[in-house]
Amino acid sequence: MLELSDIRKSYRIGPTEIEILKGVNLKVVTGELMAIMGPSGCGKSTLMNILGLLDKPTSGTYAIMGTPVTYTDDDNLSRIRNRSIGFVFQQYHLLPRLSALDNVGLPLIYRGEREQEIRTRSLEYLKKVNMHERASHNPTELSGGQQQRVAIARAIAGRPSLILADEPTGALDTKVGQEIMDLFRRLNEEEGITVVIITHDPGIAKQCKRFVYMKDGTIIEQ
Amino acid sequence: MIFRANLKEAVRSLSSAKQRTILALIGIVIGIGSVIAMVSIGKIVQAEVMTQFREMGTDILNISKDPAADAGGASKKRDFLGLKEALSIPAACPSIDQVSPNVNLGGEMSFSGKKLDGLVLLGVTENFPDINKVKVLKGRFISDLDENSHFCVLGNGAYQKLQGLGAGDVIGRTIKVNDLLFTVIGTMDSSTPGGMRTFDPNQTVYIHISTAMRVKNLWDITNITARVRPGASHRTAQAEVKEFFTKNVTANVKISSPEEVIAQMEKQMQMFTLLLGAIGSIALIVGGVGVMNVMLVSVTERRKEIGIRRALGARQNDIMGQFLMESIILSMIGGLFGILVGVGGSYLAAYFAKWQFGVSYMAIFLGVGVSSVVGIFFGFYPARQASRLDPIVALRSN
Repeated sequence: MLELSDIRKSYRIGPTEIEILKGVNLKVVTGELMAIMGPSGCGKSTLMNILGLLDKPTSGTYAIMGTPVTYTDDDNLSRIRNRSIGFVFQQYHLLPRLSALDNVGLPLIYRGEREQEIRTRSLEYLKKVNMHERASHNPTELSGGQQQRVAIARAIAGRPSLILADEPTGALDTKVGQEIMDLFRRLNEEEGITVVIITHDPGIAKQCKRFVYMKDGTIIEQ
Repeated sequence: MIFRANLKEAVRSLSSAKQRTILALIGIVIGIGSVIAMVSIGKIVQAEVMTQFREMGTDILNISKDPAADAGGASKKRDFLGLKEALSIPAACPSIDQVSPNVNLGGEMSFSGKKLDGLVLLGVTENFPDINKVKVLKGRFISDLDENSHFCVLGNGAYQKLQGLGAGDVIGRTIKVNDLLFTVIGTMDSSTPGGMRTFDPNQTVYIHISTAMRVKNLWDITNITARVRPGASHRTAQAEVKEFFTKNVTANVKISSPEEVIAQMEKQMQMFTLLLGAIGSIALIVGGVGVMNVMLVSVTERRKEIGIRRALGARQNDIMGQFLMESIILSMIGGLFGILVGVGGSYLAAYFAKWQFGVSYMAIFLGVGVSSVVGIFFGFYPARQASRLDPIVALRSN
């Protein structure tokens, strides 16, 4: 499904150039539930941004479904993000002024869906994460775990084939984190969505079908 | 639909920062307000001028001494012309139907010891009401049989002043002009000043022209209002009058026709329009910069939101649309308030100038149109900045 070959990414900070990713090769197969682990600063977030088309590599090729990504067509990158990828962030990243329901509907707005359709679909997905009773609440009125569940509903509302989760349980306690993890596993098993989770929690990684370990900008263990 | 979503979002965003929104609007409100006021007042004045001229008719010439050409005439016995010569104009000029000469006098007027301010004493002939289209309310007007008599007729404003002083039904009462007493024999209906009238007919006390000239020891009349014969052209009439004056009188004459007066008024209106237009454009530019400033702050504050939206699949154009929508809504709110201010301002102007008030729909379209153009123009740069943000940089910012 996803194939990274020799991906490098470097940032220029002042006069020095820092290489974050030093030639990453990775294949993600459809239907996988995969964890990417590693100490902080190893480049796993950068890798996730590249996987999610939020960032572009300095060199190397990235192919989605066999098609290499062209980074010059920004609208196309947006379209792929909108239709094929669902993001879950550590800090949830819900829009504070919108209700849970409207937050879930955001990806559908950018698809040009009709308002009525967006509402029914958003409610349906809130139900899936068991948050439908809080549909009209604003994020500030929800607990961390609840916010993350809304964020997951938002990630899957567009029926993506891939979920990218960056430390999804990082800001939650173990019990709530486990609930979120169960949700990912269910989505993976029941809906067949490919899930890639970035974490530094071995307990989370263990529950995934496969995990890779990163260190110093390269994958050292698959 | 993305349009509806952007609209909702714009309203939400603007109402969450009310204070900033209101401050940004002031410039736009003033700008649009003065543009609207300019257009409305222009329209009102135009309508007003038209009614003034319609009331008195446009077949009128005003004949007076040309004050600009006065300097060289030191040896002249007279300034202008006498009553007899003035009255002979219709006979000499076939295009002139009637003339109504008058003398305009100052003088202190009082009624039972109380001063009457702001009134003009006008010596006229019998046909004055006919040519000037003013109507008698009570009693009768001055007749040519009243030659040298001390009778007077009050304009409506003067009549009301006298009533205010407790004169009751003023006919038969006497008013004092300088040291002379005049008996009131009639009062006039109120009429609109302006147009071809060189005086305010309401604030006038009329006496017979012969009395006026004798009392003041005058040789000359002040002004002649002439009515052009039906079917005759203004131009011929003017030429005939000019010829009459070169033949019979040494003084230089100034003849003004309604067209000239209207043209002059239009010129004044143009100056007024230009002035308000300049104020309006400056305020609009300042207001536009205010909108731009607010939008730039809004973009900076919402970098993270932009990042999230981009991650969820918003295209650059979607982000641009969102912020453009916000700035357009912002300026349009300003525009709406501006319309209120402009219409209100022109209402006040009309009220104090005693003009007939009217709303120009053109002005409202103009207000909405101009404000949305300002929104687009000054919102473009911030919106573009928002859309060009790197998603990853935007997501990381706080």
